[in-house]
This record gives sequence, structure tokens and C-alpha cells, in this order.
Amino acid sequence: MEGNEFLDKLASGKIRRRDFNKILAGAGLSLISIPLISRSGKAAVEDHPLIFTWAGYEEEGFIQNYIDQYGEAPNYTFFGDEEEAFAKLRAGFKPDITMPCSYKIPQWRDAGLLAPIDTSRLSNWPDCLEAVKNVPGIVVNGQRHWVCVDWAQTSITYRTDLVEIEEESWGLLWDERYAGRLAMIDSLIDGVMVAAIYGGAKDPYDMTAEEVQRTKELLQEQLPLLRFYSNDMTTVQQALASGEIVAGVTWNDSALWLQEDGVPVKFMNPKEGAMTWTCGISLQADADPAKIDRAYDLIDAMLSPEAGVYEIMEWGYGHANKKAFEMVDEADLRKRGLPKNPEDIDRFLASGSFQAAIQNEPELQMMFEEVKAGL
Amino acid sequence: MAERVAPVPAPVGKVRLGLTTRLRAVTLRSEPIRGYALLSPTLGLMILALALPIGLLITFSFWTQVYLDFDRSFTFGRYIKFFTNTEYSKFFESWYWISLALAIPLFVPAFPWKRRLGALLIVGYPAIAFYLIGLSVEKAIYPMLLWKSIKISGAVTLATVVLAYPMAYFIAFHVKKNKLIWLILITVPFWTSYLLRVFAWKIILGYNGVFNSGLMSLGLIEEPFMFLLYSQFAVVLTLAHAWAAFAILPIYVSLEKIDRSLLEAATDLGDGPVARFLRVTLPLSMPGVIAASLLVFIPTVGDYVTPNLVGGTTGIMIGNIIQSMFGKANNWPLGGASSVISMIAITALICAFLWLTKRMKRQIA
Repeated sequence: MEGNEFLDKLASGKIRRRDFNKILAGAGLSLISIPLISRSGKAAVEDHPLIFTWAGYEEEGFIQNYIDQYGEAPNYTFFGDEEEAFAKLRAGFKPDITMPCSYKIPQWRDAGLLAPIDTSRLSNWPDCLEAVKNVPGIVVNGQRHWVCVDWAQTSITYRTDLVEIEEESWGLLWDERYAGRLAMIDSLIDGVMVAAIYGGAKDPYDMTAEEVQRTKELLQEQLPLLRFYSNDMTTVQQALASGEIVAGVTWNDSALWLQEDGVPVKFMNPKEGAMTWTCGISLQADADPAKIDRAYDLIDAMLSPEAGVYEIMEWGYGHANKKAFEMVDEADLRKRGLPKNPEDIDRFLASGSFQAAIQNEPELQMMFEEVKAGL
Repeated sequence: MAERVAPVPAPVGKVRLGLTTRLRAVTLRSEPIRGYALLSPTLGLMILALALPIGLLITFSFWTQVYLDFDRSFTFGRYIKFFTNTEYSKFFESWYWISLALAIPLFVPAFPWKRRLGALLIVGYPAIAFYLIGLSVEKAIYPMLLWKSIKISGAVTLATVVLAYPMAYFIAFHVKKNKLIWLILITVPFWTSYLLRVFAWKIILGYNGVFNSGLMSLGLIEEPFMFLLYSQFAVVLTLAHAWAAFAILPIYVSLEKIDRSLLEAATDLGDGPVARFLRVTLPLSMPGVIAASLLVFIPTVGDYVTPNLVGGTTGIMIGNIIQSMFGKANNWPLGGASSVISMIAITALICAFLWLTKRMKRQIA
């Protein structure tokens, strides 16, 4: 039946029920078969591993070698924070690769989400920094479930023109002169741990009951001084740029980007010690066996010095590969607060407080939620 | 249907009918079964989409979270934690003394039993209340947060209904042509996503947002107003805007239905415009107002996106903490208990609200 003929018949009401149903069935069948047809044409996309990662890590600079090798990028899907990712994975989501940070590894391993990684299959592994190879809590029973890709610091970015301080300290976030113009990151690791370090906890990641109490009091004391808690770094950067807040907890990239925009800010090196975080990459226990080879190539691409240069220059983060540091000008490194020589880097990493898995995490999180709710 | 009623009475005891035929005969004869069968698609959907999740939530709320798993033994611990923020055992330690004190009236021999029970109630309720309040002062963060959420939602409901009423009134009484276009115009802001509407308010109320920079360029203020964003005020304003359509439409419908001759009659009998509105229009539009209040109040109590984005440190609501219980804090049982208690509290409030409006209506009539 011709299309126009059909329409004419339909309009005049002369179409038979059977004919109409045939056409409906045909339309339905073709609709259903569209995805099947296009799938066979694009088989290659199916062969790439699926990466579950932080939004932002899909930039091609991170995996240029992989793209050069296979001609296209792997498949991405994103999380906002690791708790959200964890909940999704526990509910049965099965990507091939995830990108958690080091302090989450024990929990994820306990939940049976991660598969061991064979570092002998990574050509860039020998070039990685000693300090990041030895991040505590990663290797258990000789099995490594995670490799570090990048590292940087959590510290205060403050407006040099609006803040007067004698020495750099986390105490700026408790300074009543700046009440209502301070901001914190809304997370256990980058928020509560700041209070723990400022409160002088011996090991912020494994606190005693008194230290927890002290941390809680500090958070309660700080709450009325804060403009907001935020996980959204764009909000923090905009607030710093406009002068709505004068100091906020950030990572290196925010300070770098604000400086490049001409905002007078400095990334603090607090006397109590900044926090160093390392984030990396893990193979999932349920990864598709057919994609494992490509998954290793992808991890290797992320560890390559080229990816390292991109990350140092564009994000201001340190990279796992020491060769990357040799390929970047010393002036550029200094601008980002990063050292040049490998021994210095190892010493630098060893000096900060490496973010470790938090003991009593659920209780601390509830405490934090209660403080935020006004307890 | 032909097969439903046999045209000829079947000869009893001679022909054995097939099982399916007999089954069909039985099911078709029973009115309730036929009714439920007719309802079954809807009923199935209701059970899957509503009853099952709530059932799961209630089940969770009686369990205990142990690291990544649940302890599935039955306990009221999460409920006690919600109200007192103390652990189970400690609660009963103090509870023991309280119940002893409560029992005192029972041992006063001079009164008859009825009076003794009465005294127990008179002493008992305030004692329990004071006990809970005593704990509340420092510890009962969750009931306080729930109360705060209810207050914020109450303010939102009031603001929404008060702002929506004139709009609905205008369309119902003063728009003569193209009413549909006016109604569609009202829904235009709702064609964008909820999140976008919240962000729009962030831009309007922000530190260097539309409002502040406007006032500054007019020279009316020196420093931007800080209270506009990241406050309870911002939460109320944003929610009131976001839910406006849900208030305007029901109020419009009930205003539209009012018989215009009643208004003429009121005028003929000497009522001025204000008295006429208060004595005729408003009471007759009450069903719409009530529906609007419920439609706005119920969903906003549990909202967590808006407080998260514009609430700052003071605008946190119960939804935020429940969300983190199911996410970051990974304590599903406590989250379940908090949700169940919130649901019960909201239901109780709504019942009280409906009862009150009913009484008021009777007084007006």
C-alpha cells in the first residue's frame, strides 16, 4: 500500500481494520529493529572497555596513547562522588574499569568489587614514583587492586587581597574576622579531615574517641562561620572570584585556574600540613574478560608521561610517572607548587598526610551530617 | 460475551465439564473476583510501584547496618535512635527509672482504679514529653530537623497558595477569551527542568546576581545582601516558585466552578466586594485551596535538591539527611526509619489539617 493511498483511506475512514493493524505492526517492528541494525554496523564500540569515573576524566589528554592505538576513545560513564559510585556498583552496575581514590580501596575491596592488577603488563609501571607505588593500604597479600594515576593536595585557596594572615594555617577556616565568607568541601575526606588535622589529631584517619569529639566541636564552631558546604568546585571558584568568599578548601586545579584568570589567590601550604590525595584506576572484578587486554592498554596510557604532562599543565595535579616531570619546565612546576626532581617528589609526597581509608567511616559520616543539620 | 452465560441450562450430573470451564464459571460468578480481575493491571502497578517499596522501607527500618551488610534481626533501635539519638541500651537504662516514676500513681491506694489510671495518664504524658524534650535539647537532632522541614514547607505552602490565588482568580473571573492560552502561559516555567529553575534562582539571588548587582548599580546598597542566597529564605522562595503551577491549577478549577449567580445574589443582598469574596467566593473555593496546600506541602517536606543547592548551612532539611543515610553514611535502616517517621508525621499533620478545615467549614456554614 502506498503511503499517500494509506493516508487518503485513513482520512476518508475507508481503511479496513486488518490493513490498519498490519501497518501498525510494520511500524512497530521497524522501530524495534533500528537498534539491532545500527549495533552490527558499529561493532568496535562494543569492544572498548567501559570506564566509570569522575566527570572531567573523559578529556582525551588523559588517554591520548589509547586513542592513537585504537583510533577512538573508550566508553565512559560518570559519578559525582565515590559514595554514589559505590552505591551504584553495589546495586549491580558492571563497568570494566573504575577510578576511585586510594582511601576508598579497602572498602571497595571488602565489597568484592575489585580484581587484582598485574603490573608486569604495564609498560610505564617501572617509571612510576616510589611514593605512589607504596601508597599505604593498597597491596594486600601481595595483590594490588589499584594503581595510582595522579596525586595533588587538598588545601585552602585564599584571596591574597582580602585576607591578612601572619602564617599559613588551617586556622583561617575558623577565623571569625571572615565569618560568612569561608567555604568547606562537603565530604568526609576533604572536610571533616581538615578539622581533624587542625584539631591536632595524631592520625586523622584513625581517630580516638577524644579526637573525634574535638573534631566535632571544631566543626560545630565552624558551621556559623561558613557560607556553604559544597562539592561543586565551580561554585567555590566563582565565589572566590567574586569575593563572596575569601577562603575555601579546594584542590590544586581551582587555584591554578583562578590564577590564570587573573584572580589574586594563593594555594596555601598550611603549617599543620596539607593533605595529599592520590587517585587512580582499578579493574572491576566483573570486568568483561574479552576487554581485559584493552583495559590494560588504557591503564598504561593513563600512566604514560604524555598523559602526565597534560595533567600537570592543564590540571596542576602531580602525576604518577616521574618522566612527566622531566618533560615540564621547572617554572611551570613551581607555579603549580610541584617539585622537579624525583627524590624531591618522593620526599614531598612523604611529608604530606596521605589520605588513607577512614576508620569508623559510617559513624563519622553520621556525626558530620548531624553537625551540618545543626546539632 | 457468549461463553459467559450458557444459553441452555446444563443437565446436572450428566455432562462433566472441563476444569477450565468450571474454573471460569466459578470466577465469573464471584463479584469480588471479577472486580479485582478488572482492576488487576492498575492494582499490579500500584503494588509494584508503591506498596512494595514502602514495604521494603519499613522492613529495612527494623534492621541494623553492620558495615556493608545488614543484621536482619528485628529491632526498634533505629526508631529510638531517631527520637533520642542515643543507643538502644542506654535508652532503656534511663527508661527503667522513668517507668518506675510513672508507676507511682498506681500505688496510691486512696483512689479507685479509674482515677489511678487517670492520674497515670495525667502524670505520664507530660513525663514522657518532658523526658523526650530533655533529651531533645542537646540530642534529638532528627525530630528537630523534621520539625524544621515541616515549618519550612508550611511557609512554602502558605507563600505558594497566597501568591497563586490572585493568579487563579484573575484567570477564572477576568479572562474572558482564550483561557487555555493563559493556563498554558502559567505552565511555561515548568517546561524547563526543576534543576534549571533552582539554578535560575541562584543566579537571581547570588552575591553578584541580578538582584544584588541591580541594587548596587542603583546605589541603594554598598555591599551585596548575603542573606538572599544560602538561607532558609532562599529555600522558601525557590520552592514556592517551583511548585506554583501545582497551586494555581486546582484553585483555578474550583473558582471556575463557582456559580456566578451566587455572586449576583450576594451583591443584591447588600454585600460589598470584600464581604462577597469572604462569604461566598473564598468558602466555595476552599476545596481547591486545600488540594493546592496538600499538593505543595507533601512533596516539599522531603525535598533535598533545593536545600542542597540554595540552603547553605542553615537551610538543611530532613530530606538531605535521609539522602545521605542512603548514600554517603550508608545506613539504610536509619534512613528507612527516618522516612517512615516522616511519612507518619506528615500523614498526621494532613489529617489534622483536613479535620480543621472541615470544622471551619461547618462554622462558616
